[in-house]
Amino acid sequence: MAVALPLKPTHASESGDFESDQKVVKFEVVKKREEQDHSQTGELTSFEETMLPHLDAAHNLAKWLLRNEEDAQDVVQEAYLRAFRSFGGFRGGNGRAWLLTIVRNTSYTLLKKNRAADFTVFDEEIHASSDESVGPATILEHSEDAELIKEAINELPAEFREILVLRHQEGLSYKEIADIAQIPPGTVMSRLARARGKLKEYLAARIGKEK
Amino acid sequence: MNCKEVINLMDGYLDGELDPVTNQTVEQHLRDCPNCDRAYKAHGMLMRAIGSASPYHKAPAGLRERIQFSLREEVAEQPMRDLSQPALRAYRRPQAGAKTVLVGTPWNWLALAAAIVVAAIITFNFVPRLRPGADQLLATQLIASHVRSLMANHLTDVASSDQHTVKPWLDTKLDFAPAVPDLSNKGFPLVGGRLDYLDNRPVAALIYQRRQHFINLFVWPIESNAANSTKTMSRQGYQLLHWVDSDFTYWAVSDVNANDLQTFKQDFDEQIHPR
Repeated sequence: MAVALPLKPTHASESGDFESDQKVVKFEVVKKREEQDHSQTGELTSFEETMLPHLDAAHNLAKWLLRNEEDAQDVVQEAYLRAFRSFGGFRGGNGRAWLLTIVRNTSYTLLKKNRAADFTVFDEEIHASSDESVGPATILEHSEDAELIKEAINELPAEFREILVLRHQEGLSYKEIADIAQIPPGTVMSRLARARGKLKEYLAARIGKEK
Repeated sequence: MNCKEVINLMDGYLDGELDPVTNQTVEQHLRDCPNCDRAYKAHGMLMRAIGSASPYHKAPAGLRERIQFSLREEVAEQPMRDLSQPALRAYRRPQAGAKTVLVGTPWNWLALAAAIVVAAIITFNFVPRLRPGADQLLATQLIASHVRSLMANHLTDVASSDQHTVKPWLDTKLDFAPAVPDLSNKGFPLVGGRLDYLDNRPVAALIYQRRQHFINLFVWPIESNAANSTKTMSRQGYQLLHWVDSDFTYWAVSDVNANDLQTFKQDFDEQIHPR
């Protein structure tokens, strides 16, 4: 093992015997490596116990953001690896929110790479085509139509899809949402309001078309 | 507070995220203003609809295994990469002492070093806890093999629920002939067989199913000095069950619960050694 080499000149000149020192060093290294192996297995166990229960939440967010099953699975796997690497920085608290932050960032990296379209500025004009004749009552009649709601959400830009999922499906607080979406806590409410408003418009537009 | 302000705060109010004072002001306004109250009720219903009607995309089967496998690969790679660091530390520490201790009293230091070496050798060789046991290493291999078999569409080399297809196929590939019982009437239908390489030898893997779960049963000839024991282990969420009979050593690996795996072993034993 090359590790002991630097010791040789010093010790050899002083004592004429470096055999034993070499062994000491060897032992230290071997032992350290074992400790490391043990601690890594322990860390992995602890990581899996903390984070694997949130696999559904991770997949759900990735699927809504990427709108593609294959990408979602790749991103979730990558996010778990990233999370494991930085698990040392996790100081307890809400493990789900911590993991979702990483899933969100990993998803955006892929979104930016694949589909710049998702990041064009949201154009109010293009989408402001809601049918005024479709009132809240009509929307509510259709509000249990899961397919309709899913399609309408999928039409929204990523920042709206994400905030609706975090609030309505994960039930996270404004503070947690602000941390995950990396926006000031004060803007969570207004963004949610805009997301819901847009969703309502889209639902109205779709229902209007069906009529 | 006017209507416009109340409408602007509506989402926060419905989400229960307003501070108590603002919350009360909005509440008061809604009692007094039928228009805002109507908007509040409609918005509330829409919000509940989003929550209850939007589909939740649960993780598909296999994703968990895929992640666990990649995490294990990550851990396996790491010690290699990090070796340089402990090496540096090991080098620096004795050197710092060398200047003061070694120059003045070399023989005492050497005696100490020798003592450490002896202690180290004794500890290292005779305290079993410090070394991962052979079983632990084997268990890791078994789980990796089980996970891999579920990942890459490589569960079986010969896919058949017919023992008379699986057994002859395995017999031609291996230098031993394990029993391949049909356990479908016990709730463990045979899925197929596979060749695998474990513990430095080719082994047979028999795949059985329990509801939606798979059981990999690894079989190879018994070593002459093998202990005749039954072992159960639970690692990383997988159950392992080990037993031997007069000819073979068996390791069953699965994510079914421990009881199911015990039942599987009993049924397996009864089929191949009928009383």
